[in-house]
Amino acid sequence: MGDMLKDKVAIVTGSGRGIGRGIALLFAEEGAKVVVNDIGAAVDGSGGAAAPADQVVSEIEAAGGTAVANYDSVATMEGGENIVRTAVDTYGKLDIVVTPAGILRDRMIFNMTEDEWDAVIAVHLKGTFSVAKFASILYRQQRSGCLITFSSTSGLYGNSGQANYGAAKDGIAGLTRCFARDMGRYGARANSISPGADTRMTATVPDTAREIRAASGIQSASGAQPIRLRREAEDIAPMVTWLASDAAKDVNGQVFHVTGGEVSLMSNPEPARTLSTPGRWSVEEIAAMFPGTLGMDLVNPAPPQAPPQAPRQ
Amino acid sequence: MADTLTGKVAIVTGAGRGIGRGIAIQLAAEGASVVVNDIGGAVDGTGESVAPADQVVSEIEAAGGAAVANYESVATMEGGENIVKAALDSFGKLDIVVTPAGILRDRMVFNMTEEEWDAVIAVHLKGTFSVVKHACILFRQQRSGRVITFSSESGLVGNTGQVNYGAAKSGIAGFTKVVARDMGRYGVTANSIAPRAQTRMIATIPDIARQGQEDQLPSEQETMDPDDIAPFVAYLASDMAANVNGQTFLVYGGNITLLSQPRRIRTIFKNGRWTLDEISRLAPTKLTQGLVNPSPPQPPRQ
Repeated sequence: MGDMLKDKVAIVTGSGRGIGRGIALLFAEEGAKVVVNDIGAAVDGSGGAAAPADQVVSEIEAAGGTAVANYDSVATMEGGENIVRTAVDTYGKLDIVVTPAGILRDRMIFNMTEDEWDAVIAVHLKGTFSVAKFASILYRQQRSGCLITFSSTSGLYGNSGQANYGAAKDGIAGLTRCFARDMGRYGARANSISPGADTRMTATVPDTAREIRAASGIQSASGAQPIRLRREAEDIAPMVTWLASDAAKDVNGQVFHVTGGEVSLMSNPEPARTLSTPGRWSVEEIAAMFPGTLGMDLVNPAPPQAPPQAPRQ
Repeated sequence: MADTLTGKVAIVTGAGRGIGRGIAIQLAAEGASVVVNDIGGAVDGTGESVAPADQVVSEIEAAGGAAVANYESVATMEGGENIVKAALDSFGKLDIVVTPAGILRDRMVFNMTEEEWDAVIAVHLKGTFSVVKHACILFRQQRSGRVITFSSESGLVGNTGQVNYGAAKSGIAGFTKVVARDMGRYGVTANSIAPRAQTRMIATIPDIARQGQEDQLPSEQETMDPDDIAPFVAYLASDMAANVNGQTFLVYGGNITLLSQPRRIRTIFKNGRWTLDEISRLAPTKLTQGLVNPSPPQPPRQ
């Protein structure tokens, strides 16, 4: 047992399995009391079971740590409030909130249903807000606190077949940057992790989608490395634990990419090149200037393909 | 009348006022037939009126252009489908979708209500998806099309009092990058604009938020006219920008800035899992050194 998070109280959403589970286990090992939140659903969000959260609590307790299970859905404000209340009721305070809870409903944009859109936005984006909002009320009063959200290269870079997930995940990065600015003055902070790991969630990305991407020359964000390195769910926890500790008290408003043994600081979008004129541009002027300046080395991430030929009879 | 967009049919959401109005008028001046969509609500999304959309249609027609008004809300899938249908019913096809429609409900995160969160996410994020999804069905079949969405520095950089708006606007940037990758192979492009302009929306931002973003605001001398956004949107919508896909541009006054995509700027790596001890030793000197807290702790009020 370490003591990096001694006496801290932490919430980890979606911690019955995968990345969340790894974080809850390491937090407890470092001395934190942990609310292990998990609705116990399938990857697509359907169903529910107490077993995953209970099992992680048992593991923590067997190792001498302290944890309590919570089965509320993050997708409603009531759920978020109940999760925060569980921390306060059980351990008397709250210091750390980590929000990896998530689902997937991949589909090409032209086929994506309203349900697929709504479900993913609800669990990821509102599910981050629902817990973060109620935590921020406490953080403001106690003038300290830490939020660690989960973004993704699917939104930061863009990934085919994930308009809902990409919107939610880049939205979480924006939420985190705004939370950092609202709460920094109160001594609280917020950062985001873009993880790469092989979990049951990534196992659902259809092989056909991978094949289409490969055939189209589209490099998937997760497959950017020429050699496939090991990347386990538990690899994310050490960086999250350091970020949650007082050692990182000055780190606020950042995004970190963590996968396997790689930990990277990500840049925010920032000005790369500017065209400037003293008045208003005309369309003709832009047309003359753009290709040789702003547009000179832009790469189309998905260049037009010839339509498939009809099969010969 | 210019002819950059002759024969094209465009939808502009939220085109009754502000940035959307400027875009609708410019696209029409370049020869496009335009669906001027606006629910005619207040900045916070309440109320409805046909007047703003009707007035822009009148302006376009008075200048010799072609336009039709539409009053559907973008916040429902039915609304998005009906807006796309309006283009087909009135002009027989659809080539360009531009989505500046938006509202504001600013509040510090600890005071933000569910209703304030939901309303902003619905109009901006779902309101972009609702129109773009239905447009992409057509764009895929015809193997061409333009999607131009509206992001914001509030989400890309962060801003005080706008956790709902910042989430929606950063979400739109992510959404657009995915649409670019879903649709590029079909000859479609999707790009996003982060605009700065003096509109009635900006006038609602509380002073506390203004203070938080002083360093992002242009100086007094720089113009902030909402009509300044339109020429670059018209360019992106034209055939000349056929290979510009998946990008985000900051546009204000006479400035057009290409924004970089997020990328790894510092990395530590080992072949295996880091221990917490190793991270604790390396992160402060190799990853987070020199980072500036955008909102440093303040002493409590006396």
